[in-house]
Amino acid sequence: MLDNTPIKVATKGAISIRNVTKIYDPEGVNVMAVDDCSLEIAAGEVCMIVGPSGCGKTTLLNTIAGFHSITHGAIYLDGEPLCTEEKPLAPMGADRMVVFQHGALFPWKTLIDNVAYGPIVQGAMSKAEAHDKAGYMLAEAGLGDVSLKFPGEVSSGMARRAEIVRALINDPKVLLLDEPYRAMDALTKSIMHESLLEMYDRTKVTIFFITHDLEEAIFLGDRVVVMTTRPARTKQIVDVKIPRPRDYKVLSSEEFRVLAKEAKDAVHEEAIKAFEAGERELA
Amino acid sequence: MTEQATNARPKREAPTGLAMTRYRWKKALRTPTPYLMAFGIGLWILTYYLLTEGWQVWRFQKLPGPVEVITEWFNPDPMWGISLYTETYYHHVIVSCRRIAIAFSIATGVGVPLGLFMGWSKTFRDYTFPLLETLRPIPILAWVPLAILMFAGFETPVIFLATLASLFVTTLNTLLGVDSIDEEYFRAAGCLGSKPHHIFFHIVIPGALPFIFTGLQISIGVAWFSLVAAEMVSGEFGLGYMIVDSYMNITYVTMVIGMLTLGFVGWTTSAMVRLVGNRMMQWRVRALALEGR
Repeated sequence: MLDNTPIKVATKGAISIRNVTKIYDPEGVNVMAVDDCSLEIAAGEVCMIVGPSGCGKTTLLNTIAGFHSITHGAIYLDGEPLCTEEKPLAPMGADRMVVFQHGALFPWKTLIDNVAYGPIVQGAMSKAEAHDKAGYMLAEAGLGDVSLKFPGEVSSGMARRAEIVRALINDPKVLLLDEPYRAMDALTKSIMHESLLEMYDRTKVTIFFITHDLEEAIFLGDRVVVMTTRPARTKQIVDVKIPRPRDYKVLSSEEFRVLAKEAKDAVHEEAIKAFEAGERELA
Repeated sequence: MTEQATNARPKREAPTGLAMTRYRWKKALRTPTPYLMAFGIGLWILTYYLLTEGWQVWRFQKLPGPVEVITEWFNPDPMWGISLYTETYYHHVIVSCRRIAIAFSIATGVGVPLGLFMGWSKTFRDYTFPLLETLRPIPILAWVPLAILMFAGFETPVIFLATLASLFVTTLNTLLGVDSIDEEYFRAAGCLGSKPHHIFFHIVIPGALPFIFTGLQISIGVAWFSLVAAEMVSGEFGLGYMIVDSYMNITYVTMVIGMLTLGFVGWTTSAMVRLVGNRMMQWRVRALALEGR
């Protein structure tokens, strides 16, 4: 049967990170978290960031999201400056949605209220409209049965999926994910990956995804950016040319194996440096 | 995939309302808890009995024993004038309860918003925190002369003292409640496009609720003991007054009745606070229930 749905092409969400440096100043000792880092992410790209623990990946994400200021450089979103040296802190906004490492669904709101929250507070929809849309989107993500439950009552996989739905209902330009599947077992992870790819195929939102897991990075990404140990710089970029839609057969292909080795070598080198430096992870 | 799995299983409706209460009671009766509680109370009464009326241990023999107290308490014609059958008894209870209701309401109405603002706004906290911390350690009895100087009559000074004690506890706990909210909720709310008032009503208040209710349970207890202390010093009627009055008149049985009544009434009020808290925090109750608590 022919699929008549129009092919979604990304037209928004290009991020330019230009010579960004971030220096922390805890207890009067300067710590450079990100050093002269530059990275161009195309609209609709799935960009995977890997690197040793505490290398400054999360710091970079936080500067894009508007949680942290930058020290030097600039970040642009679709050509518009988000933060520059004159205005070092980007405003938080619904065009860049963050999915947190430990999950940040509001525990006191049901899943449907969590999802409907964004459009309501932005004044983009009436309460009824927002609830309708939230219910529809949750059902689409396979969460229809649990939409009236509180986050504490559902599995971590369901909660994380609901959190992604809460982000996507705002039609963001960029989705920023900070190791969202870190604490999950391999089986749950594989289900989460499939559902994320499915949501991505539907929305073509730009994805900035931080992870430690190289298989995850190659399976999901268009590009895998390997960062150096702190201060973070881009060390190597691995292009993943495996066609989409992808499924789990990809994992056992020769192409996948070669890419994984390339990325692993690059990461391993940095991991050793990071371990020898023995510094405490900051973020 | 997931839907199929859930649909295949026949759904069992969770019991609600009365059925749920009955189910919980039945379940509770199968645990050792109620029996241990009954045994604990029994053991305590037995010890009390043996020390006073049974073996009449030295120093304890002067105290009214449980048999004497209970007989008097349930006596339609009480020997010392006060029992469950006399109007005076209820008058004392009601007067104290009314004072607690007023004091606790004022303390909560002022303390919770105060704590929320202190937690929410750094500037507001910088202004108010030193004052709070200076006034907080002053024992409530030290305020008694000031309260009598400031307010006329019996009623206002007593209520003032109970309010004051309760207020500090509520404010501090609310403040800690706001501090306890994970930074990521604020960040998530910021990403989702919240304005400051959204953050206040959707993050700060619900996020602080667990601490607020812990604080309210402590504060109602504090309100009771400062109320009784105040009633002992200045007052007309009330359980504290009843206790001190019976001591003056050497009617020790009535004094113990007053003390036990105070215990029961205090326990009831804390239970009421807990009940309201659980009502307002269904999300927490349900999540804890899944963990078997």
